[in-house]
Amino acid sequence: MAQVAYAGASRVYPGAHSVRAVDGLDLCIGDGEFLVLVGPSGSGKSTALRMAAGLEDVDEGSISIGDRDVTHLPPKDRDIAMVFQSYALYPHMSVRENMAFSLKLRGMSKSEVNAKVEEAAELLDLTKYLDRKPKALSGGQRQRVAMGRAIVREPSVFLMDEPLSNLDAKLRVETRANIAALQRRLGTTTIYVTHDQVEAMTMGDRVAVLRDGVLQQCASPRELYDTPRNVFVAGFIGSPAMNLLTLPVDGDGVKLGELKVQLPVRVEPGEVTVGIRPETLSLVGAAEDGFELQVELVEELGADAYVHGTLAGHADKIVVRADGRTPPRLGEAVRVAVRDTGEVHVFDPESGLRIGAE
Amino acid sequence: MTALIEAPQSSEPPATRTRTQARSAAWKRRAPLLPALLFTIAVTQVPFLVTVFYSFQSWNMVRPGSQHFVGFDNYVDVFTDSVFLQALGNTVTITVVCVLVAMLLGLGLALLLDRKFLGRGIVRTLLITPFLILPAAGALLWKTTMFDPSYGLLNWAFGIEVEWLSDYPLAAVMTQIVWQWTPFMMLLILAGLQAQSREVLEAAQVDGAGRWRTFVSITLPQLSRYLQLAVLLGAIYIVNSFDAIYLMTQGGPGTASTNLPYYIYQRAFEGFDVGQSSAMGVVVVAMTLIVATFALRLMFRAFDVSRGVK
Repeated sequence: MAQVAYAGASRVYPGAHSVRAVDGLDLCIGDGEFLVLVGPSGSGKSTALRMAAGLEDVDEGSISIGDRDVTHLPPKDRDIAMVFQSYALYPHMSVRENMAFSLKLRGMSKSEVNAKVEEAAELLDLTKYLDRKPKALSGGQRQRVAMGRAIVREPSVFLMDEPLSNLDAKLRVETRANIAALQRRLGTTTIYVTHDQVEAMTMGDRVAVLRDGVLQQCASPRELYDTPRNVFVAGFIGSPAMNLLTLPVDGDGVKLGELKVQLPVRVEPGEVTVGIRPETLSLVGAAEDGFELQVELVEELGADAYVHGTLAGHADKIVVRADGRTPPRLGEAVRVAVRDTGEVHVFDPESGLRIGAE
Repeated sequence: MTALIEAPQSSEPPATRTRTQARSAAWKRRAPLLPALLFTIAVTQVPFLVTVFYSFQSWNMVRPGSQHFVGFDNYVDVFTDSVFLQALGNTVTITVVCVLVAMLLGLGLALLLDRKFLGRGIVRTLLITPFLILPAAGALLWKTTMFDPSYGLLNWAFGIEVEWLSDYPLAAVMTQIVWQWTPFMMLLILAGLQAQSREVLEAAQVDGAGRWRTFVSITLPQLSRYLQLAVLLGAIYIVNSFDAIYLMTQGGPGTASTNLPYYIYQRAFEGFDVGQSSAMGVVVVAMTLIVATFALRLMFRAFDVSRGVK
């Protein structure tokens, strides 16, 4: 059990245009915490994880695990276990040998190795498959072997690099819950990398959002959702994404078509970027206050329907959540109102930072 | 009723027509391959059958009209011929030693080439060069520039005076063959190394394996298919070595470096003994088949690392 701390850690790929894949990352993951690193592809989230594993150099700053500075230690001396996206199982070894490999290297006695492997196999429902080769297993089973290989070692930190991205949608949801439950049970500090913000929201104690190697915000899922620190986090967290519109300030609010939206914070005259989540908007009757939306696409998900449309005189698309049973038709004009102006997010259009919070 | 009877009558002719049509279509598609097939049979199978036929004849071309059927006499002679047995021994020695040494050297070079360094492309090209040179040119190069007692580089480099080709004929020939085949082994093994998943190697690293351990427990087992292929192809080619021996030592001194292909050549084109050289050829083909089917398979099973690493 240990905490992991990145202190100004950077990874710079040299070259004519040197790339700062991870740029001055300051992040402290508490003992037993489940931290999710999330970001679009190329955001440096995997690089940050691999730096903790020792598979990627730390060019500036340092990383410590527990009270040891591991910045320049090889992976094997860091007491970490890693689950790879491709699972990286040893193809020529059986499930048992895959899991036992690291224990054997530590010189553990055969009976002890067997006991530990069998315990882990039971935990992951792999007992039946112990003598099979990875290629004779399904994707979900391989994923569990990869997990098993990590947990038999009882490391102080788990590092997981998009472990669910090769599974089908249904299995992903199931395994997501299993991994989260397993982590709570073992209480091992975990860093989990994903590009899927649903995984980030459902699994993590805290979520760190990265963009171009720079940490944007690290907070609990609720906090990220309710008070995103900047436009990027606001747009990245939540599905479908938040509607972001840059509009001129009109007194103490902005005008969305013919609807005046009161802003929850005081703003200077000029322009602001307002962020409104699809669920903050609702369809209303023609007589009520609202703005006109030309429906261009309706995504029906059963319980809900997402109505995509454009506001007259605006290029930006707006997404509205509507009741799944009575969705509007394509090409129709609907009236949309803001359910609660307190849920409207306001950002500075220049810097992209949140206005009013903190 | 009439319709029922008529129906099959009217439907049968088209069915047979489509079948014959399909057959002729298949012929049209395959006919262009026929010349290649006939050519292959003409140049491989027919000569072999003729060789088998000759092997039962006593026929020395120096004495015209001596050709007659002798049954298995030629085969008996072959197995009691001490030179044949020596050539057989030499062939086995050359094949086993050259394949093993070339493979080990190739493995080492492939491991070095698998890492990034400045000028890797140039080094790789230079290392492949021996394989690109004509075998005959390579053999002459070694005979003259390297092994020649008066102006060879080896004697000059070590400051010694050794008659390499007459004192160590077999070793000299094997050196040339190893030099020629190492690049081939290296390329095959390099392909195997580069086909490895990087994540698997990283997983081993995280699991606590050092370089040596990763090599033995992860890399080597994954390379086994490539090594098998290298051994198989290398053995097939090296068993048939002729150029090096013909050009460097002429099988000598005496018969010290004679291998089977060279001995058969000598019996046929210097001794003009068609019957006996044919019998030798048949014996060699039979032995090669046995080795290829049983010995190699047995060997691969013994080294079958895919069953797990202890």
